[in-house]
Amino acid sequence: MKRFLIPAGALALCAVAASALAAPGTVLRNDKLYSQPNASSSVAASVPKGASVDILAKQGGWLRVTSGKSTGWIRLLSVRAGAGGLGGAGLGDVVGAATTRSDPSRVVAVAGLRGLNDEDLKQARFNGEELARMNAWQATPAQARSFAAQSGLTTANVAALPAPQSNRTSSPWETN
Amino acid sequence: MKIKWMVLAVVLVSFSGVASGLDFGKLLEERVKQELNKDRKTQPEQTSPAPDAAQNTAAPSPPAKQKIDARQLGFALFGDYSPEEETRIGRQIAGDLLGAVPLVRDDKLQRYVNLVGNWVALQSSRKDVTWRFGVLDTDDINAFAAPGGYIFVTRGLYQRLNNEAELAGVLAHEIAHVTLKHHLKVLKQSSLIGALGQAAGNKVKDSDQVVQNLIGNGAEIMARGLDKNAEFEADRVGIVLAARAGYDPWGLPEVLQDLAGLPAKDSRTSLLYKTHPHPADRLAELGEAVGGRLDAVHGKDLPGRLYRIR
Repeated sequence: MKRFLIPAGALALCAVAASALAAPGTVLRNDKLYSQPNASSSVAASVPKGASVDILAKQGGWLRVTSGKSTGWIRLLSVRAGAGGLGGAGLGDVVGAATTRSDPSRVVAVAGLRGLNDEDLKQARFNGEELARMNAWQATPAQARSFAAQSGLTTANVAALPAPQSNRTSSPWETN
Repeated sequence: MKIKWMVLAVVLVSFSGVASGLDFGKLLEERVKQELNKDRKTQPEQTSPAPDAAQNTAAPSPPAKQKIDARQLGFALFGDYSPEEETRIGRQIAGDLLGAVPLVRDDKLQRYVNLVGNWVALQSSRKDVTWRFGVLDTDDINAFAAPGGYIFVTRGLYQRLNNEAELAGVLAHEIAHVTLKHHLKVLKQSSLIGALGQAAGNKVKDSDQVVQNLIGNGAEIMARGLDKNAEFEADRVGIVLAARAGYDPWGLPEVLQDLAGLPAKDSRTSLLYKTHPHPADRLAELGEAVGGRLDAVHGKDLPGRLYRIR
Protein backbone atom coordinates (compact mmCIF):
# COMPACT_ATOMS: atom_id res chain seq x y z
CA MET A 1 0.00 0.00 0.00
CA LYS A 2 2.78 2.42 0.80
CA ARG A 3 5.14 1.46 -1.94
CA PHE A 4 4.50 4.68 -3.86
CA LEU A 5 5.08 6.92 -0.92
CA ILE A 6 7.83 9.37 -1.85
CA PRO A 7 9.98 10.23 1.16
CA ALA A 8 11.26 13.62 0.02
CA GLY A 9 8.77 16.29 0.88
CA ALA A 10 5.87 13.92 1.30
CA LEU A 11 4.07 14.89 4.48
CA ALA A 12 2.49 12.34 6.70
CA LEU A 13 -0.93 13.76 5.98
CA CYS A 14 -0.63 13.11 2.26
CA ALA A 15 -2.92 10.21 1.61
CA VAL A 16 -1.56 7.48 -0.59
CA ALA A 17 -4.02 5.29 -2.35
CA ALA A 18 -2.76 2.56 -4.60
CA SER A 19 -5.54 0.97 -6.59
CA ALA A 20 -5.78 -2.76 -6.36
CA LEU A 21 -5.76 -3.12 -10.15
CA ALA A 22 -4.49 -0.86 -12.88
CA ALA A 23 -7.44 1.11 -14.23
CA PRO A 24 -7.65 2.45 -17.77
CA GLY A 25 -7.49 6.19 -18.36
CA THR A 26 -7.27 8.70 -21.22
CA VAL A 27 -4.98 11.73 -21.34
CA LEU A 28 -7.00 14.97 -21.68
CA ARG A 29 -4.21 17.33 -22.79
CA ASN A 30 -0.57 17.22 -23.78
CA ASP A 31 1.37 16.80 -20.57
CA LYS A 32 4.46 15.29 -19.00
CA LEU A 33 5.19 12.21 -16.95
CA TYR A 34 7.39 13.14 -14.01
CA SER A 35 9.60 10.79 -12.06
CA GLN A 36 8.06 12.00 -8.79
CA PRO A 37 4.64 13.43 -7.91
CA ASN A 38 5.89 17.00 -8.16
CA ALA A 39 6.63 19.29 -11.07
CA SER A 40 10.21 19.97 -10.03
CA SER A 41 11.24 16.35 -10.48
CA SER A 42 12.76 15.10 -13.73
CA VAL A 43 10.54 14.47 -16.73
CA ALA A 44 10.30 10.81 -17.67
CA ALA A 45 8.28 11.25 -20.87
CA SER A 46 5.74 13.37 -22.68
CA VAL A 47 2.24 12.09 -23.35
CA PRO A 48 -0.07 13.48 -26.03
CA LYS A 49 -3.74 14.33 -25.66
CA GLY A 50 -5.84 11.25 -26.34
CA ALA A 51 -3.19 8.73 -25.26
CA SER A 52 -4.31 5.69 -23.30
CA VAL A 53 -2.73 5.09 -19.92
CA ASP A 54 -3.01 2.62 -17.10
CA ILE A 55 -3.58 4.27 -13.74
CA LEU A 56 -1.46 2.57 -11.07
CA ALA A 57 -1.74 4.83 -8.04
CA LYS A 58 -2.88 8.18 -6.77
CA GLN A 59 -1.24 10.68 -4.48
CA GLY A 60 -2.68 14.12 -3.84
CA GLY A 61 -3.11 15.82 -7.20
CA TRP A 62 -1.04 13.20 -9.02
CA LEU A 63 -1.63 9.86 -10.70
CA ARG A 64 1.06 7.27 -11.32
CA VAL A 65 0.46 5.92 -14.80
CA THR A 66 2.01 3.74 -17.45
CA SER A 67 1.92 4.97 -21.01
CA GLY A 68 3.55 2.64 -23.52
CA LYS A 69 6.99 1.88 -22.12
CA SER A 70 7.08 4.82 -19.74
CA THR A 71 5.87 5.00 -16.18
CA GLY A 72 5.65 8.20 -14.19
CA TRP A 73 3.48 10.73 -12.40
CA ILE A 74 0.99 12.94 -14.24
CA ARG A 75 -1.33 15.63 -12.95
CA LEU A 76 -4.71 14.25 -11.85
CA LEU A 77 -6.57 16.80 -13.97
CA SER A 78 -4.75 15.75 -17.13
CA VAL A 79 -6.35 12.31 -17.15
CA ARG A 80 -9.90 11.03 -17.18
CA ALA A 81 -10.74 7.64 -15.78
CA GLY A 82 -12.07 5.10 -18.25
CA ALA A 83 -10.91 3.92 -21.67
CA GLY A 84 -12.52 4.80 -24.96
CA GLY A 85 -10.41 7.82 -25.86
CA LEU A 86 -11.61 11.38 -26.05
CA GLY A 87 -14.68 10.61 -28.14
CA GLY A 88 -16.73 13.71 -28.71
CA ALA A 89 -14.95 15.86 -26.15
CA GLY A 90 -16.01 19.44 -26.50
CA LEU A 91 -19.17 18.69 -28.45
CA GLY A 92 -22.44 20.06 -27.25
CA ASP A 93 -24.28 16.76 -27.09
CA VAL A 94 -23.08 15.56 -23.73
CA VAL A 95 -25.44 12.62 -23.65
CA GLY A 96 -24.06 11.39 -26.94
CA ALA A 97 -20.55 12.09 -25.79
CA ALA A 98 -21.15 10.13 -22.65
CA THR A 99 -22.31 7.22 -24.75
CA THR A 100 -19.28 7.20 -27.02
CA ARG A 101 -16.85 7.65 -24.19
CA SER A 102 -18.22 5.11 -21.78
CA ASP A 103 -16.11 2.19 -20.82
CA PRO A 104 -17.96 -1.01 -21.72
CA SER A 105 -16.01 -2.98 -19.14
CA ARG A 106 -17.62 -0.92 -16.40
CA VAL A 107 -21.22 -1.35 -17.45
CA VAL A 108 -23.01 -2.81 -14.49
CA ALA A 109 -26.58 -3.84 -13.91
CA VAL A 110 -28.56 -0.93 -12.57
CA ALA A 111 -31.99 -2.50 -12.67
CA GLY A 112 -34.30 -1.17 -10.02
CA LEU A 113 -32.38 2.07 -9.63
CA ARG A 114 -34.15 5.10 -10.98
CA GLY A 115 -33.01 8.61 -11.63
CA LEU A 116 -34.89 11.87 -11.63
CA ASN A 117 -36.32 13.26 -14.82
CA ASP A 118 -37.73 16.53 -16.11
CA GLU A 119 -41.30 15.50 -15.47
CA ASP A 120 -40.66 14.67 -11.81
CA LEU A 121 -39.35 18.18 -11.34
CA LYS A 122 -41.96 19.96 -13.44
CA GLN A 123 -44.83 18.25 -11.68
CA ALA A 124 -43.40 18.85 -8.23
CA ARG A 125 -45.63 20.60 -5.71
CA PHE A 126 -44.23 22.72 -2.91
CA ASN A 127 -43.61 20.64 0.22
CA GLY A 128 -43.43 22.91 3.27
CA GLU A 129 -43.06 20.03 5.72
CA GLU A 130 -39.86 18.77 4.12
CA LEU A 131 -38.55 22.32 3.92
CA ALA A 132 -39.17 22.78 7.66
CA ARG A 133 -37.31 19.53 8.31
CA MET A 134 -34.36 20.83 6.30
CA ASN A 135 -34.36 24.10 8.22
CA ALA A 136 -34.21 22.24 11.51
CA TRP A 137 -30.88 20.62 10.54
CA GLN A 138 -29.23 23.97 9.89
CA ALA A 139 -25.83 24.50 11.52
CA THR A 140 -24.60 27.81 12.87
CA PRO A 141 -21.21 29.22 11.87
CA ALA A 142 -20.00 28.62 15.44
CA GLN A 143 -21.01 24.95 15.26
CA ALA A 144 -19.32 24.60 11.88
CA ARG A 145 -16.07 26.12 13.19
CA SER A 146 -16.04 23.83 16.18
CA PHE A 147 -16.75 20.84 13.92
CA ALA A 148 -13.83 21.80 11.67
CA ALA A 149 -11.49 22.23 14.63
CA GLN A 150 -12.34 18.75 15.92
CA SER A 151 -10.48 17.19 13.01
CA GLY A 152 -7.79 19.85 12.75
CA LEU A 153 -9.19 21.57 9.66
CA THR A 154 -7.74 25.05 9.40
CA THR A 155 -8.30 27.68 6.74
CA ALA A 156 -5.69 28.06 4.05
CA ASN A 157 -4.80 31.01 1.85
CA VAL A 158 -5.54 29.88 -1.68
CA ALA A 159 -5.76 32.35 -4.54
CA ALA A 160 -8.75 32.30 -6.88
CA LEU A 161 -8.25 30.49 -10.18
CA PRO A 162 -8.45 32.55 -13.36
CA ALA A 163 -10.70 31.34 -16.18
CA PRO A 164 -8.71 29.59 -18.92
CA GLN A 165 -7.90 31.89 -21.84
CA SER A 166 -10.14 29.99 -24.22
CA ASN A 167 -13.11 30.83 -22.06
CA ARG A 168 -12.53 34.36 -21.05
CA THR A 169 -14.37 36.09 -23.83
CA SER A 170 -17.08 33.52 -24.38
CA SER A 171 -18.65 33.26 -20.95
CA PRO A 172 -21.81 35.30 -20.55
CA TRP A 173 -21.64 34.64 -16.81
CA GLU A 174 -18.63 36.76 -16.15
CA THR A 175 -19.74 39.72 -18.20
CA ASN A 176 -23.09 40.13 -16.49
CA MET B 1 -42.63 51.18 -28.26
CA LYS B 2 -45.96 49.48 -28.53
CA ILE B 3 -44.49 46.15 -27.62
CA LYS B 4 -42.76 47.65 -24.64
CA TRP B 5 -46.00 48.88 -23.18
CA MET B 6 -47.62 45.59 -23.90
CA VAL B 7 -44.94 43.86 -21.90
CA LEU B 8 -45.60 46.16 -19.00
CA ALA B 9 -49.33 45.70 -19.30
CA VAL B 10 -49.05 41.96 -19.51
CA VAL B 11 -46.82 41.82 -16.47
CA LEU B 12 -49.04 44.10 -14.45
CA VAL B 13 -52.28 42.40 -15.37
CA SER B 14 -50.82 39.05 -14.49
CA PHE B 15 -50.00 40.08 -10.95
CA SER B 16 -53.49 41.10 -10.11
CA GLY B 17 -54.82 37.62 -10.75
CA VAL B 18 -52.43 35.61 -8.65
CA ALA B 19 -51.57 37.81 -5.70
CA SER B 20 -52.82 35.32 -3.15
CA GLY B 21 -51.34 32.26 -4.78
CA LEU B 22 -47.81 33.37 -5.38
CA ASP B 23 -45.47 35.57 -3.46
CA PHE B 24 -43.70 36.34 -6.72
CA GLY B 25 -46.63 38.39 -7.89
CA LYS B 26 -46.16 40.88 -5.09
CA LEU B 27 -42.44 40.73 -5.32
CA LEU B 28 -42.45 41.61 -9.00
CA GLU B 29 -45.14 44.21 -8.51
CA GLU B 30 -42.88 45.98 -6.05
CA ARG B 31 -40.15 45.91 -8.64
CA VAL B 32 -42.37 47.52 -11.25
CA LYS B 33 -43.38 50.22 -8.78
CA GLN B 34 -39.78 50.94 -7.95
CA GLU B 35 -38.90 51.20 -11.61
CA LEU B 36 -41.81 53.53 -12.32
CA ASN B 37 -40.94 55.74 -9.38
CA LYS B 38 -37.30 55.83 -10.36
CA ASP B 39 -38.40 56.99 -13.79
CA ARG B 40 -40.57 59.74 -12.38
CA LYS B 41 -37.71 61.16 -10.39
CA THR B 42 -35.79 61.71 -13.57
CA GLN B 43 -38.64 63.77 -14.99
CA PRO B 44 -39.02 66.78 -12.67
CA GLU B 45 -41.59 68.48 -14.92
CA GLN B 46 -44.10 65.86 -13.90
CA THR B 47 -45.30 67.53 -10.68
CA SER B 48 -48.37 65.55 -9.74
CA PRO B 49 -47.71 61.85 -9.48
CA ALA B 50 -49.66 59.81 -11.97
CA PRO B 51 -51.97 57.10 -10.66
CA ASP B 52 -49.83 54.23 -9.63
CA ALA B 53 -49.60 52.12 -12.71
CA ALA B 54 -48.83 49.00 -10.74
CA GLN B 55 -52.24 49.12 -9.12
CA ASN B 56 -54.08 49.86 -12.28
CA THR B 57 -55.10 46.40 -13.31
CA ALA B 58 -56.44 47.58 -16.64
CA ALA B 59 -52.99 49.00 -17.39
CA PRO B 60 -53.26 49.46 -21.17
CA SER B 61 -53.01 53.26 -20.92
CA PRO B 62 -50.01 54.10 -18.79
CA PRO B 63 -48.84 57.70 -18.46
CA ALA B 64 -47.73 58.74 -21.89
CA LYS B 65 -44.39 60.35 -21.09
CA GLN B 66 -42.80 57.55 -19.07
CA LYS B 67 -39.94 55.84 -20.78
CA ILE B 68 -39.26 52.27 -19.87
CA ASP B 69 -37.87 50.11 -22.55
CA ALA B 70 -38.30 46.39 -22.38
CA ARG B 71 -34.69 45.65 -21.56
CA GLN B 72 -34.69 48.13 -18.74
CA LEU B 73 -37.85 46.58 -17.40
CA GLY B 74 -36.32 43.13 -17.51
CA PHE B 75 -33.29 44.24 -15.53
CA ALA B 76 -35.47 46.12 -13.10
CA LEU B 77 -37.51 43.01 -12.49
CA PHE B 78 -34.68 40.55 -12.24
CA GLY B 79 -31.47 42.50 -11.83
CA ASP B 80 -30.71 43.26 -8.23
CA TYR B 81 -32.53 41.01 -5.86
CA SER B 82 -32.29 41.86 -2.21
CA PRO B 83 -31.12 38.97 0.00
CA GLU B 84 -34.73 38.61 1.19
CA GLU B 85 -36.04 38.30 -2.36
CA GLU B 86 -33.32 35.85 -3.24
CA THR B 87 -34.22 33.71 -0.23
CA ARG B 88 -37.91 33.78 -1.18
CA ILE B 89 -37.10 32.58 -4.68
CA GLY B 90 -34.77 29.89 -3.35
CA ARG B 91 -37.29 28.80 -0.75
CA GLN B 92 -39.90 28.31 -3.47
CA ILE B 93 -37.56 26.31 -5.70
CA ALA B 94 -36.26 24.24 -2.75
CA GLY B 95 -39.80 23.50 -1.54
CA ASP B 96 -40.79 22.44 -5.05
CA LEU B 97 -37.75 20.18 -5.37
CA LEU B 98 -38.62 18.58 -2.02
CA GLY B 99 -42.08 17.96 -3.42
CA ALA B 100 -40.43 15.75 -6.05
CA VAL B 101 -37.92 14.04 -3.74
CA PRO B 102 -38.05 13.78 0.06
CA LEU B 103 -35.07 14.08 2.39
CA VAL B 104 -33.28 10.99 3.71
CA ARG B 105 -34.67 10.27 7.19
CA ASP B 106 -31.36 10.22 9.01
CA ASP B 107 -30.77 13.09 11.43
CA LYS B 108 -27.09 12.29 11.93
CA LEU B 109 -26.44 12.26 8.19
CA GLN B 110 -28.26 15.53 7.57
CA ARG B 111 -26.63 17.22 10.53
CA TYR B 112 -23.19 16.06 9.38
CA VAL B 113 -23.73 17.40 5.86
CA ASN B 114 -24.88 20.75 7.27
CA LEU B 115 -21.72 21.03 9.38
CA VAL B 116 -19.39 20.24 6.47
CA GLY B 117 -21.35 22.50 4.13
CA ASN B 118 -21.44 25.42 6.52
CA TRP B 119 -17.72 25.19 7.17
CA VAL B 120 -17.03 25.33 3.42
CA ALA B 121 -19.56 28.13 2.90
CA LEU B 122 -17.83 30.18 5.62
CA GLN B 123 -14.90 30.51 3.21
CA SER B 124 -17.08 32.21 0.60
CA SER B 125 -17.38 35.94 0.14
CA ARG B 126 -21.10 35.99 0.84
CA LYS B 127 -22.05 36.59 4.45
CA ASP B 128 -25.70 37.44 3.71
CA VAL B 129 -26.79 33.86 3.08
CA THR B 130 -28.28 31.34 5.52
CA TRP B 131 -26.98 27.99 4.27
CA ARG B 132 -29.12 24.88 4.43
CA PHE B 133 -28.03 21.47 3.19
CA GLY B 134 -30.02 18.32 2.57
CA VAL B 135 -29.51 14.79 1.27
CA LEU B 136 -32.33 13.79 -1.09
CA ASP B 137 -33.66 10.25 -0.92
CA THR B 138 -33.15 9.16 -4.52
CA ASP B 139 -30.80 6.84 -6.43
CA ASP B 140 -30.22 9.69 -8.88
CA ILE B 141 -26.59 10.89 -8.94
CA ASN B 142 -26.68 14.66 -8.75
CA ALA B 143 -26.48 17.77 -6.63
CA PHE B 144 -28.49 20.98 -6.75
CA ALA B 145 -28.33 24.56 -5.59
CA ALA B 146 -31.14 27.09 -5.30
CA PRO B 147 -30.72 30.82 -4.67
CA GLY B 148 -30.53 31.93 -1.05
CA GLY B 149 -28.29 29.06 0.08
CA TYR B 150 -30.40 25.91 -0.39
CA ILE B 151 -28.03 23.06 -1.31
CA PHE B 152 -28.92 19.44 -2.08
CA VAL B 153 -26.96 16.30 -2.76
CA THR B 154 -28.67 13.05 -3.71
CA ARG B 155 -28.22 9.81 -1.75
CA GLY B 156 -27.08 8.22 -5.03
CA LEU B 157 -24.14 10.61 -5.25
CA TYR B 158 -23.45 10.65 -1.50
CA GLN B 159 -23.05 6.87 -1.39
CA ARG B 160 -20.30 7.03 -4.02
CA LEU B 161 -18.14 9.37 -1.90
CA ASN B 162 -14.96 8.08 -0.29
CA ASN B 163 -14.03 10.84 2.11
CA GLU B 164 -15.10 14.17 3.58
CA ALA B 165 -12.97 16.14 1.09
CA GLU B 166 -15.08 14.73 -1.76
CA LEU B 167 -18.28 15.76 0.01
CA ALA B 168 -16.78 19.21 0.63
CA GLY B 169 -15.86 19.46 -3.06
CA VAL B 170 -19.37 18.59 -4.24
CA LEU B 171 -20.99 21.00 -1.78
CA ALA B 172 -18.45 23.71 -2.68
CA HIS B 173 -19.42 23.48 -6.37
CA GLU B 174 -23.06 24.06 -5.39
CA ILE B 175 -22.16 26.83 -2.92
CA ALA B 176 -20.33 28.54 -5.79
CA HIS B 177 -23.52 28.52 -7.89
CA VAL B 178 -25.21 30.45 -5.07
CA THR B 179 -22.40 32.92 -4.41
CA LEU B 180 -22.12 33.60 -8.15
CA LYS B 181 -25.95 33.90 -8.45
CA HIS B 182 -26.03 31.66 -11.51
CA HIS B 183 -29.66 30.62 -11.17
CA LEU B 184 -30.83 34.17 -10.59
CA LYS B 185 -29.19 35.13 -13.87
CA VAL B 186 -30.95 32.31 -15.71
CA LEU B 187 -34.25 33.35 -14.16
CA LYS B 188 -33.69 36.90 -15.27
CA GLN B 189 -32.88 35.96 -18.85
CA SER B 190 -35.55 33.34 -19.39
CA SER B 191 -38.22 35.46 -17.73
CA LEU B 192 -37.53 38.44 -19.94
CA ILE B 193 -37.52 36.36 -23.09
CA GLY B 194 -40.76 34.68 -22.06
CA ALA B 195 -42.48 37.97 -21.34
CA LEU B 196 -41.34 39.48 -24.61
CA GLY B 197 -42.42 36.43 -26.59
CA GLN B 198 -45.86 36.48 -25.07
CA ALA B 199 -46.32 40.18 -25.64
CA ALA B 200 -45.22 39.89 -29.24
CA GLY B 201 -47.46 36.90 -29.89
CA ASN B 202 -50.38 38.52 -28.10
CA LYS B 203 -51.61 35.09 -27.05
CA VAL B 204 -52.02 35.79 -23.39
CA LYS B 205 -55.44 34.92 -22.05
CA ASP B 206 -54.74 33.26 -18.73
CA SER B 207 -52.82 35.50 -16.33
CA ASP B 208 -51.61 32.52 -14.29
CA GLN B 209 -49.89 31.25 -17.38
CA VAL B 210 -47.84 34.43 -17.65
CA VAL B 211 -46.46 34.08 -14.14
CA GLN B 212 -45.78 30.40 -14.69
CA ASN B 213 -43.77 31.34 -17.72
CA LEU B 214 -41.90 33.89 -15.65
CA ILE B 215 -40.88 31.54 -12.86
CA GLY B 216 -41.32 28.11 -14.43
CA ASN B 217 -43.23 25.05 -13.27
CA GLY B 218 -42.32 23.37 -10.03
CA ALA B 219 -38.59 22.83 -9.81
CA GLU B 220 -38.07 22.69 -13.57
CA ILE B 221 -35.33 25.31 -13.32
CA MET B 222 -33.28 22.43 -11.90
CA ALA B 223 -33.91 20.35 -15.00
CA ARG B 224 -33.03 23.15 -17.41
CA GLY B 225 -29.55 23.54 -16.05
CA LEU B 226 -27.05 26.32 -16.55
CA ASP B 227 -24.68 27.46 -19.25
CA LYS B 228 -21.66 25.13 -19.38
CA ASN B 229 -19.37 28.04 -18.57
CA ALA B 230 -21.30 28.52 -15.33
CA GLU B 231 -20.55 24.88 -14.46
CA PHE B 232 -16.86 25.31 -15.27
CA GLU B 233 -16.78 28.47 -13.18
CA ALA B 234 -18.46 26.70 -10.23
CA ASP B 235 -15.84 23.92 -10.52
CA ARG B 236 -13.01 26.46 -10.36
CA VAL B 237 -14.51 28.43 -7.48
CA GLY B 238 -15.57 25.21 -5.72
CA ILE B 239 -12.17 23.57 -5.51
CA VAL B 240 -10.70 26.81 -4.18
CA LEU B 241 -13.43 27.04 -1.50
CA ALA B 242 -12.75 23.46 -0.41
CA ALA B 243 -9.01 24.13 -0.32
CA ARG B 244 -9.52 27.29 1.73
CA ALA B 245 -11.56 25.23 4.20
CA GLY B 246 -8.48 23.05 4.73
CA TYR B 247 -9.58 20.12 2.57
CA ASP B 248 -7.60 18.36 -0.10
CA PRO B 249 -8.56 20.32 -3.25
CA TRP B 250 -8.80 17.10 -5.29
CA GLY B 251 -12.08 15.99 -3.74
CA LEU B 252 -14.27 17.38 -6.51
CA PRO B 253 -11.95 16.17 -9.33
CA GLU B 254 -12.01 12.69 -7.80
CA VAL B 255 -15.79 12.67 -7.82
CA LEU B 256 -15.68 13.76 -11.48
CA GLN B 257 -13.21 10.94 -12.21
CA ASP B 258 -15.62 8.49 -10.62
CA LEU B 259 -18.54 9.82 -12.67
CA ALA B 260 -16.45 9.75 -15.87
CA GLY B 261 -16.06 6.01 -15.39
CA LEU B 262 -19.78 5.32 -14.90
CA PRO B 263 -21.67 3.50 -17.63
CA ALA B 264 -23.54 5.66 -20.10
CA LYS B 265 -27.31 5.34 -20.50
CA ASP B 266 -27.72 4.94 -16.79
CA SER B 267 -30.97 6.57 -15.70
CA ARG B 268 -29.27 7.72 -12.50
CA THR B 269 -27.02 10.12 -14.40
CA SER B 270 -29.29 11.16 -17.27
CA LEU B 271 -30.38 14.40 -15.59
CA LEU B 272 -26.80 15.19 -14.57
CA TYR B 273 -25.58 14.79 -18.15
CA LYS B 274 -28.50 16.78 -19.50
CA THR B 275 -27.62 19.72 -17.26
CA HIS B 276 -23.83 19.50 -17.01
CA PRO B 277 -20.89 19.11 -19.39
CA HIS B 278 -19.43 15.59 -19.43
CA PRO B 279 -17.17 15.00 -16.41
CA ALA B 280 -14.21 14.48 -18.76
CA ASP B 281 -14.74 17.95 -20.23
CA ARG B 282 -15.02 19.40 -16.73
CA LEU B 283 -11.74 17.74 -15.71
CA ALA B 284 -10.02 19.04 -18.85
CA GLU B 285 -11.31 22.56 -18.27
CA LEU B 286 -10.27 22.47 -14.61
CA GLY B 287 -6.85 21.22 -15.68
CA GLU B 288 -6.37 24.26 -17.90
CA ALA B 289 -7.28 26.59 -15.03
CA VAL B 290 -5.32 24.81 -12.29
CA GLY B 291 -2.02 23.83 -13.91
CA GLY B 292 0.51 23.95 -11.08
CA ARG B 293 -1.34 26.56 -9.05
CA LEU B 294 -2.40 24.14 -6.31
CA ASP B 295 0.89 22.26 -6.08
CA ALA B 296 1.69 23.81 -2.71
CA VAL B 297 -1.74 23.09 -1.20
CA HIS B 298 -1.85 20.11 1.16
CA GLY B 299 -5.26 19.62 2.69
CA LYS B 300 -7.00 16.85 4.57
CA ASP B 301 -9.32 14.28 3.01
CA LEU B 302 -10.67 12.74 6.26
CA PRO B 303 -11.89 9.34 5.04
CA GLY B 304 -12.62 8.25 8.60
CA ARG B 305 -15.05 11.04 9.33
CA LEU B 306 -17.31 10.59 6.29
CA TYR B 307 -20.70 9.57 7.69
CA ARG B 308 -21.80 6.28 6.16
CA ILE B 309 -25.46 5.81 5.39
CA ARG B 310 -26.70 2.63 7.00
